[in-house]
Amino acid sequence: MELLRQQFPANDFALLALVLLAPLIGAIINGVFGRRLGKEAVRTMALSVMAVAFGLSVVTFLNVATMHPAEGESVRLYWKAWEWFSLTPKYQSFAVDVAFSVDALSATMMLIVTGIGFLIHLYSTSYMEDDPGYYRFFAYLNLFIFSMLTLILGDNMVVLFVGWEGVGLCSYLLIGFWFGDEKKASAGKKAFITNRIGDFGLLVAMAILLYHAGGDLGWGALEDRAASLTKEITMWPPNESFLRAVPFGDALRPDAPIRVSVATLACFFLFLGCMGKSAQIPLYVWLPDAMAGPTPVSALIHAATMVTAGVYLVARTSFLFVLSPAAMALVAATGALTALLAASIAFAQTDLKKVLAYSTVSQLGFMFVGVGVGAFGPGFFHVITHAFFKGCLFLCAGSVIHSMHARIHSEEGSQDMRNMGGLRKYMPITHATFLISCLAIAGMPGLSGFWSKDELMYKAYTLQIIPANASLWVPPEWFGKAIYVMCAVAALGTAFYMFRAYFLTFWGDFKGWNIVRGWKDPHAGHHDEHHDDEPLDGPVPHESPLPMTVPLMILAFFALVGGFVYAEPLHIAPLGHFWEPVFASAQPHIKNLDPEHALMLPLLVTGGLIFAAGAGGAYFVYVVQKGAPAASFVKAAPGLHRFVLNKWKVDEFYEVTVLGLVDAMGDTAAQFDKWVIDGILAKLTSTLVTVFGTLLRTLQTGRVQVYAAGMVIGTAAVGWFLFTPHAEANADFDAMRATGELNLTAAPGHGYAYHWAVGEDAEGPDKDEDFTKNANLQLNFRQCETKTVHLSVRNVFGRQTRESFTYCRETRQGCCKAEGEMAPAPQAGEVPSLPQMKPQAPSRPGTNPGGSPKGGH
Amino acid sequence: MSVPINYFLVLAAALFATGAVGFLLRRNLLVLLMSIELMLNAVNLTLVAFNRIHGTDHGGQILAFFIIAIAAAEAAVGLAIVLAFFRLRQTVRSDEANTLKN
Repeated sequence: MELLRQQFPANDFALLALVLLAPLIGAIINGVFGRRLGKEAVRTMALSVMAVAFGLSVVTFLNVATMHPAEGESVRLYWKAWEWFSLTPKYQSFAVDVAFSVDALSATMMLIVTGIGFLIHLYSTSYMEDDPGYYRFFAYLNLFIFSMLTLILGDNMVVLFVGWEGVGLCSYLLIGFWFGDEKKASAGKKAFITNRIGDFGLLVAMAILLYHAGGDLGWGALEDRAASLTKEITMWPPNESFLRAVPFGDALRPDAPIRVSVATLACFFLFLGCMGKSAQIPLYVWLPDAMAGPTPVSALIHAATMVTAGVYLVARTSFLFVLSPAAMALVAATGALTALLAASIAFAQTDLKKVLAYSTVSQLGFMFVGVGVGAFGPGFFHVITHAFFKGCLFLCAGSVIHSMHARIHSEEGSQDMRNMGGLRKYMPITHATFLISCLAIAGMPGLSGFWSKDELMYKAYTLQIIPANASLWVPPEWFGKAIYVMCAVAALGTAFYMFRAYFLTFWGDFKGWNIVRGWKDPHAGHHDEHHDDEPLDGPVPHESPLPMTVPLMILAFFALVGGFVYAEPLHIAPLGHFWEPVFASAQPHIKNLDPEHALMLPLLVTGGLIFAAGAGGAYFVYVVQKGAPAASFVKAAPGLHRFVLNKWKVDEFYEVTVLGLVDAMGDTAAQFDKWVIDGILAKLTSTLVTVFGTLLRTLQTGRVQVYAAGMVIGTAAVGWFLFTPHAEANADFDAMRATGELNLTAAPGHGYAYHWAVGEDAEGPDKDEDFTKNANLQLNFRQCETKTVHLSVRNVFGRQTRESFTYCRETRQGCCKAEGEMAPAPQAGEVPSLPQMKPQAPSRPGTNPGGSPKGGH
Repeated sequence: MSVPINYFLVLAAALFATGAVGFLLRRNLLVLLMSIELMLNAVNLTLVAFNRIHGTDHGGQILAFFIIAIAAAEAAVGLAIVLAFFRLRQTVRSDEANTLKN
């Protein structure tokens, strides 16, 4: 450890380069050469880079954990790869480095990502065994790990955003992994597009923070300058001239300007990003569809790691969120609502993966409740326990689906819980690990889910955000309690529907096919379309191979005992103390209403009772009564059941509103394009070009004599220009405005002689001797004085011309207007006194610019 | 008493104008070549006339010789083109030379 610290000091911790590069190299090699390398090599490559990344993550974690910083400072290992770009706009410069850092929070998260990532890579080597896209799968998976590590380790918001987009891309690629299937490809698109809405929010938040926080998006800099973000800015009206410009502007004018603190605004947009990535209302719709991807992907990306990026972001910017009780309340309320809604949908689903997907959405809601009420530690701890038990649950589901594929090849059929049942006899390891994870997610006291979920629910009940200044909106007293009640209901639902899934899958009788011992596939090697009406014969369902069950056992182990690293009620919370410095600057803004922990025990007991009620209820309904109450409920309220089964018709609602709106806009644009762009603009342009083309074409006769005529005319015109004199003068008006001294210089020409006359009615030169070679004239102006100058020029042919100029030194706005004939006054706000120069009409006959000879030959 | 320069210049201008108008208006290629010769000689006349004023400098006369040489080359090339054109079209009318147009 000492040697490590010498090699990699905290301010230049280049070990992160290896952690990041390992999966990237794996992705590149597998992606580019994977097809030729063969499965064995791809597997070795993918697993070894993950092992390297995990090993180095452990080293990094231990390094962070064993550092003892000075009082009041937090551990942060920093590594700057290179300076990315720097901009120097008008007011402040802005530099972005490709820099990475590790503190307690990101060290833990990186351990989870690489650890669970490794297990799921291992699992996939077996699960994806027969897939033709084997190498592609592992290339994407490695790329995902790289992007996720970039997201976690990025030292500033821009690098985080790169990772944020990267995981979105990998998610898209992996959801649509089997892109031959239209439905799966469009599920990928849906995920990507929904995420883009959130990403927009994140970009806006970055812009706001960049503007108001002094041009630095590094975490440290933002934390230092957070206090300045409590200032308020006016949201509406934009400005007076806007109200004047729009019709009915007065109606839009509020009684008092609507003002919002910068922190609230920035946090709102940050949270919009989190809504997209972490599947919260209203952007959660992509996550259930994301189950179209291979099951290990669902486990890794859409349960354990990527979808928790939003929670990570809120925890990472906790110092910002606590400045705005309104934003915190929004986070908590959205989380609680999502937890409830998703739990309710999960009741009716029959697809095992769909149940788990809605359960994930619901658990993400819990996490946001945690970070939204100020319980950043427990909230983020729920991310970690959830990664264990939900990762395990998904992998169990994959294991079950894997064995169902022995006889049922359609996707719907193999994932449908109505085809399962009784599997605990045939798949003991899968059953045991599923049960443990199920108990954990349902919150059985002692298991990991209990410690994280019930802790954060307790905190929701007792914590309150202290507003940074008195003018901020704060949620009412009962807000925390309402959040708690919603969470409790959602938790009850969770226990019930998770055990419903468990009992349907593993208890009762097997319903997939008639089990025939020693059955051999008569159509071995060819996937026939089986007929639904005929009962199938099939083999005994089998347990999955070792590479699949080992990750299950490891994850289940952590789901079982992982909670004891943050068991606040038992006063064993090493992880909590480890994280404390990360949330230290947020802590002063959080008030604990229950400092004596008097409510802790009652609420924990309630949590235990909720678990017992939910699980017991499911046992009663699905084991004792064999599902009869559920069936009769469906019969009693078929409409409600269908409504819930169809996911509250949210997708249809979005279809009509959002997609309809976009479609309508598209149609309008198409009509506009058809009639205005194509019909008017394009036609007009082409007509114009045709007309000019026709005109010019007549000149192109192809006869050499016509061209020669053109040459003669042109030469004659140039000759005439040289033959006539031109009276023009240049002047420096800036100097004139400042000093009143105006230097006029007449334009030079061949054999030019000049004559200057000052004064409105000054006479011109009478004879040739009046002309001199002096091209310059100096004039002095008093303030607001106007003078007229006449310039006569005679050229070598003896031809003359005369031009008059009037100048005014406008030192005050409008003081030259008295002349009446002055050029328009300068616009308001412009620098005053642009002197006006205006050639006047010739005042005497015979001095027109054409220059009739006067005293010539 | 030598001839004033204006006389030379007026004569040269008249020659040049004749050549230019002839070049623009006539349709016979041989006449066109002759018009070009007229213009070139008008310029030559101007050059030597001005050279008379600057007695010590012979630049104008040297330039005139150049122009005579170039005019000879031009006549050779021009006549060759006219000959080739006549073989192609059986005419020496310049408005028949419209291959470029269509």
